[in-house]
Formats: sequence, C-alpha cells, structure tokens
Amino acid sequence: MSPTPSHPSRQQEFWSGVRQELPLQLGVAPFGLVFGVLGLAAGLTPLQTILMSSIVFGGASQVVLVQLWGSVPGPVVGASVSMINLRHALYSASVAPYLRALPLRWRLPLAYLLTDEAYAVTINRLRNETPGPFQHYHLLGTGTLLWVCWQITTITGVVFGATIPPEWSLEFAIPLTFIAVVVPILKRRADFIACGTAAVISVIGQPLPWNSWIILAGMGGILAGWLSLRIMAGRGDA
Amino acid sequence: MIWWVMIFCGVVTFFTRFVMFSDMAPKKLPDWSEDVLSFVPVAVLTAIIVPSVLIGADNAVEITDNARLPAAILAVLVAWLTRSVLATIGSGLAALWCLNWLIF
Repeated sequence: MSPTPSHPSRQQEFWSGVRQELPLQLGVAPFGLVFGVLGLAAGLTPLQTILMSSIVFGGASQVVLVQLWGSVPGPVVGASVSMINLRHALYSASVAPYLRALPLRWRLPLAYLLTDEAYAVTINRLRNETPGPFQHYHLLGTGTLLWVCWQITTITGVVFGATIPPEWSLEFAIPLTFIAVVVPILKRRADFIACGTAAVISVIGQPLPWNSWIILAGMGGILAGWLSLRIMAGRGDA
Repeated sequence: MIWWVMIFCGVVTFFTRFVMFSDMAPKKLPDWSEDVLSFVPVAVLTAIIVPSVLIGADNAVEITDNARLPAAILAVLVAWLTRSVLATIGSGLAALWCLNWLIF
C-alpha cells in the first residue's frame, strides 16, 4: 500500500478527526466540569481529581469511582470501575483490524486515547471512507482533542465548580452526546433490535453488582443484533 | 489508598483498550467477527444512554415526573431529522431546562 496523491495526508486525517470530534465537545465539556465538582465533593484533593482524568481517562467510570469512594471498600470500587470499562475491549476489537499492523509506539498511545467519543467518530471514518495509509492519524486527532478538552474542563470544574448551579443538570449532556452519535448510525433493522435489547437489559440489569449491567447490556445487544442479522439473511430479507 | 485504586483503575482501563491491539491478540479474526463488531457502537452506547435517562437518584426507574425522558425523546427526534451533534445536544439541554423551569 503505497501512498498516492489520492490518499488524505497525515495532516488531513488528523485535522478531519479533530474537526469531526469538535461538536461532541459540547457534551464532553459539561461532563468534565461535573466530574471536577464531584471529585472535590467526594473528598479528593484537587490534585487527585485532576490527575484521575489522565490516569483513568474514562468519564463515566471516573464519576462512579468518586461516587463510590468512601462508601464501599477499595477493591469493590476497583471491580466496579473495571466492569464499566470492559466495553473498551469491544472498541479495541472493532478498531484492531485497521491498526494492528502499526508499530507499538503507535498502538500504545492510540489505545490510551480510545474513549467512547473518539471511537464513535473514528470507527465511522475507518468503516465508511476509503482506507488510507495514514488513517490512524484520524484516531490521533479525535483522541487528542477529547483528551485536551477533558483535562481542561476537569481543571475548570475543580477551580470554578462550586459556582455551577446543580439545576443546570450538566451531567445530562453525556447521554445527549451519545444520542447524537447512535441515532444516525441506526440503519439496518438489526441495528434497532440491538439497540432495543441493550436498552431493556441496561434497565432490568440495574440491581446487578459492580455495574456489570453495562457490559451485559452491550454484549446482549450485540448478540441480538447479530442473530437477527443472520436470521434475516437466511430468509433473504436483511 | 485512593492513589492505589486510581492507578489500578487506570492500568485496567488501559489494558482493556489495548488488549486487541496487542501482539497476543489473534492476527486474523474469523469472518463473522466483522458482522458482530458492527453492533458495538449501537449496543454499548445505548446501554449508557438509557439508564442515564430513566434511572433516578434512588436507582429506580422514573417514567413520570422525569423531565429527562421527554428531553431525551426530543433529542432523538432532532438527531433523526438533522443528524447534527450540536442541534441534538443543544435541543436536549434546552428542553430539560425549560421543562424543569415550567413544570417539574
């Protein structure tokens, strides 16, 4: 695969990632502010709260970590956060075919940057646009923008958080961001079945320990979607 | 203690993201894996969306007296019609604020 002038350059891939990721920051930024506030409220120091955003770098799991902190034993906190983040293994599997040939110095940082929002934008590019020799720069672009935004808004939340009125419900920005990502990719009938199944399991699974409903609902939705795709393909009406 | 929990969570999170990029992962995935993995974004993101709309502070399902539900339905419609991230997040937040201010 030799680069030809028809392929996007490194810069074009990187900046198209940044550009496509930019609108999602309307959802990420309020969430970063909320996390900064919650970290301090849970009794963490400003330094601990800010560093958690680069050490863990996973929005929902960081919120759960600080909410559980102090009320349940440390190992239970660790199990819960790990369970929430298991879904990233699915993202990893889904992006891997496009990135596996890269040297380790690329795979390590790209794995670190593989968050929900960066994955959601980059997987669209990888699947639906012409493959290019520099397509990994797209994930570098989406991931880097998200990382920078997450760090800046965490710090802002720590510094100014006390002045944000709770009735602004800023945490609602996160499901809205994901709605904006999911609705446009619902195309096949099997996508709707996957969506509905994941929705039902995520609600009835709430009492399960360690927030394991997230990974169960994700895998249940994937299985239901795939089975219905196969059944419909067998009947010839996919 | 918080530092240890944080570092543990960071290491686990990194490895779940790295696992399929690693040299230990199978070089060639079976043919059906592409179909299976095509459902990952829809299924996993839905599993995050629905509880954050429906589940209230006391871990119970809230259908009535829950301004998030109509706001989320509006956001789904806006996303369907406009395919715009900004319009979706903006309309959802605006709807939630209006509903909270007017009714709830």
